[in-house]
Amino acid sequence: MNLKAILQEKFGFEQFRPGQEAVIRDVLDGQDTIAILPTGMGKSLCYQFPAALMDGTTLIISPLVALMEDQVAIMKKNGEKRVAALNSFLSYQEKQQVLRNLPAYKFIFISPEMLVQKKIMQAFKRIQLSLIVIDEAHCISQWGFDFRPDYLRIGEVFHEHERPPILALTATANQKVVEDIHHYLKLSNPIIHRQSVDRPNISYSFVKVDREDEKLEWLKNHVKRTVGPGIIYVASRKKADEIASLLQMLDISIASYHAGKEQEDRAFIQEQFINGELQWICSTNAFGMGIHKDNIRQVIHAHIPQTMAGYIQEVGRAGRDGEQSAATLLFTPEDEGRTRFIMQEDLPTETEIRHYNHLLAENASPTEAAQLAGISETSMRIIEYYRERMVVDAVIQQINALIQEKETQLQKIIRFVHTRVCIRKEILAFFDERQQALQAVCCSNCHSLDDTWLAKTAEDSGKQALNWRERLALLL
Amino acid sequence: MELSSILLKIIDQLDGERTIYAGYHLLRGKRSGQTLQDVEYYGLKPYFHIIPNCSKEIYDEAVNKLCQAHLIYFAADSFAHTTEKGKMEAQAIAEPQFNGWNYRGRELLFFSRLSLIVQAASHLKAGEPSFMPIQKNVEVQSFVKEFARSYSLKDPVFASTLKEELLHCMEKSGMTEEQKFILIHRLSGYRLTGWTWDQLSEQLQYPVANVRLLYIESLHRILKVIEASKDMALLPKIAENIKVTSYLTESANKTKQLFEMGLPMTAIAGRRKLKMSTIEDHFVEMAINDQKFPLTQFVSEAEAQAVVDKVRQIGTKRLRILKDQFPALSYFQLRLILGARTGGERS
Repeated sequence: MNLKAILQEKFGFEQFRPGQEAVIRDVLDGQDTIAILPTGMGKSLCYQFPAALMDGTTLIISPLVALMEDQVAIMKKNGEKRVAALNSFLSYQEKQQVLRNLPAYKFIFISPEMLVQKKIMQAFKRIQLSLIVIDEAHCISQWGFDFRPDYLRIGEVFHEHERPPILALTATANQKVVEDIHHYLKLSNPIIHRQSVDRPNISYSFVKVDREDEKLEWLKNHVKRTVGPGIIYVASRKKADEIASLLQMLDISIASYHAGKEQEDRAFIQEQFINGELQWICSTNAFGMGIHKDNIRQVIHAHIPQTMAGYIQEVGRAGRDGEQSAATLLFTPEDEGRTRFIMQEDLPTETEIRHYNHLLAENASPTEAAQLAGISETSMRIIEYYRERMVVDAVIQQINALIQEKETQLQKIIRFVHTRVCIRKEILAFFDERQQALQAVCCSNCHSLDDTWLAKTAEDSGKQALNWRERLALLL
Repeated sequence: MELSSILLKIIDQLDGERTIYAGYHLLRGKRSGQTLQDVEYYGLKPYFHIIPNCSKEIYDEAVNKLCQAHLIYFAADSFAHTTEKGKMEAQAIAEPQFNGWNYRGRELLFFSRLSLIVQAASHLKAGEPSFMPIQKNVEVQSFVKEFARSYSLKDPVFASTLKEELLHCMEKSGMTEEQKFILIHRLSGYRLTGWTWDQLSEQLQYPVANVRLLYIESLHRILKVIEASKDMALLPKIAENIKVTSYLTESANKTKQLFEMGLPMTAIAGRRKLKMSTIEDHFVEMAINDQKFPLTQFVSEAEAQAVVDKVRQIGTKRLRILKDQFPALSYFQLRLILGARTGGERS
């Protein structure tokens, strides 16, 4: 089959991106497939392309409602109207409307917690499914950086012999995570495609400072002098607001972004950034998934990230256009403690789990019990998953193993930021890859990292306040 | 426009008969019996639900500000009073044109519809039919989809008509230049994205809370103009069903239906599995909002008149004092009379 001709005709692209074609061929052959493609390498084509050639509906399981809404909006924007999303944000009527018209949709996005509902499952049994896609498949692994307990149940919903092929997509998965994807999704002899996580056009720098306030000085200096568009990742909402407003005082075009802002403001910031009305975004890790902007020149981390995989995903948002881009990690020795606190504050202690279990025995509902025992909602779902399968002592062991694993992840990234060898090499090694060729512009540990290109030559245009009459005239 | 000055007006109108948090519930639009009664008794309808997400911190900050400026004080009964200075100041503050009772947050729905229509028209005008909608709300999106069936959004006449109508309404509403700035900068279009609250606050040099108040008031003003106008094609359509038509809470409405079927109160409580006190709250709500409420099924006309006269004479609507004056009437009966007969102007 001439896939290239179809690519051009149906999607308007001249070329596949690396790895896409092989994945698409296996999916079309009806194989279970695991595809590990770096961020921004066109994962969605891997299911949109086969779906275009298959009868029936493609089901896409996606972890985040915001991401899902975004994917749906983009597909609609690109002219595919037969697409719907099923998630907990829909009202009862909206949900019913989608369920009634199920066969009319070519693509259905669904959240895992919605998928496991009996009624929904029955509705899906009545339509012809041609492909099941698990987006962000690393979420299934408790060893992954973004474990979502609801993902574990996906494998229990579909039966091996009665289901269409599964395509598991992720940007980051080392061997251990791939094994989990295989195991928990109950894939049959999956074909694994792995594209290198290496992004040759991104250079890596580590900057160590002694104290927290030196970070701010460094940022002021650096952002004032270098080019955007860029993202500054920070550890908390408060920090995001703080840094954004301090940099703003230096006439830098910047806004903060985090889940504490109202939906419309988040949409404004995202859109301003994409349109080039805003040069910089200072954000928590809430920003990035589903952002389609090719010319991001810099990603700066102003703290030690929680995991390598998360770090690579965030960094991978730079330079999707293939142009030279820079990733900078700014840290102090104190970051280790702070990051550990953030990572573990969400996981319950043994006492909390026992208290929770005790409350359940006294007929409290899981939600009530979690509230009384001071357990977060995510933790509750993790505990509930294990509790259905094992006794409470084993649950505690499992959770302790999780805490242990998080600590291991943290130690890995701490070692990483202190490395003296090539940063790129370290990244590749983490994902069980070996470096193929040296980059001219590599990293701060390789000789003579040339970052003169980063220097800003003109001032940011930034936002100009129009008077309202002019603005209205431009709008309409 | 500041929260503290709006609060001063509210406290002044509450006349030393409520605790400080009556204002908090009022601004947030709490639909409890007490707040709904206060709204009616003290003529506070304009302020109902104008800051639905008002936090305790922000509210307390405004209260402290008023205390420190010696504009309000707390008496031994823990009720909030305005000082002489506070009274004068409250009178001096220009009456804001809020209309919270009639919109209850739905003014935002109006603006969301407008925002999506402007975004679509703006992109179509630029020859760019596809865009990422700023409004993610499905209800808003389906309204606009439906709207686009009746009006051709890509017709240049559409854009210019909408622009003219907006200009006309903003002018006629008497809103300030700043409010026009805020409204127009909350809209998005082709390569022109709306501004966040932070960005507006930075530009205008007001705290975000003030910017929001200005925004809400400007929406209430513009909706008033739209409702009164007869010669506009688009904005009245976009403002359709924004004004609240039933002033009863959903639950009170159900009680009302059962009452109209002829069920007595106890039977309604039984049928709905609700406490008698809740059903009483519903009846008080009905008395406040329904002009045809049959008050005389609950008290005699003479009793009702006597209570109304007493309220005028002693100048208070406080239940405990009235109860001392009319020991034969229950609290429930008194509340019904106050609700049906002594409220401010009706909508």
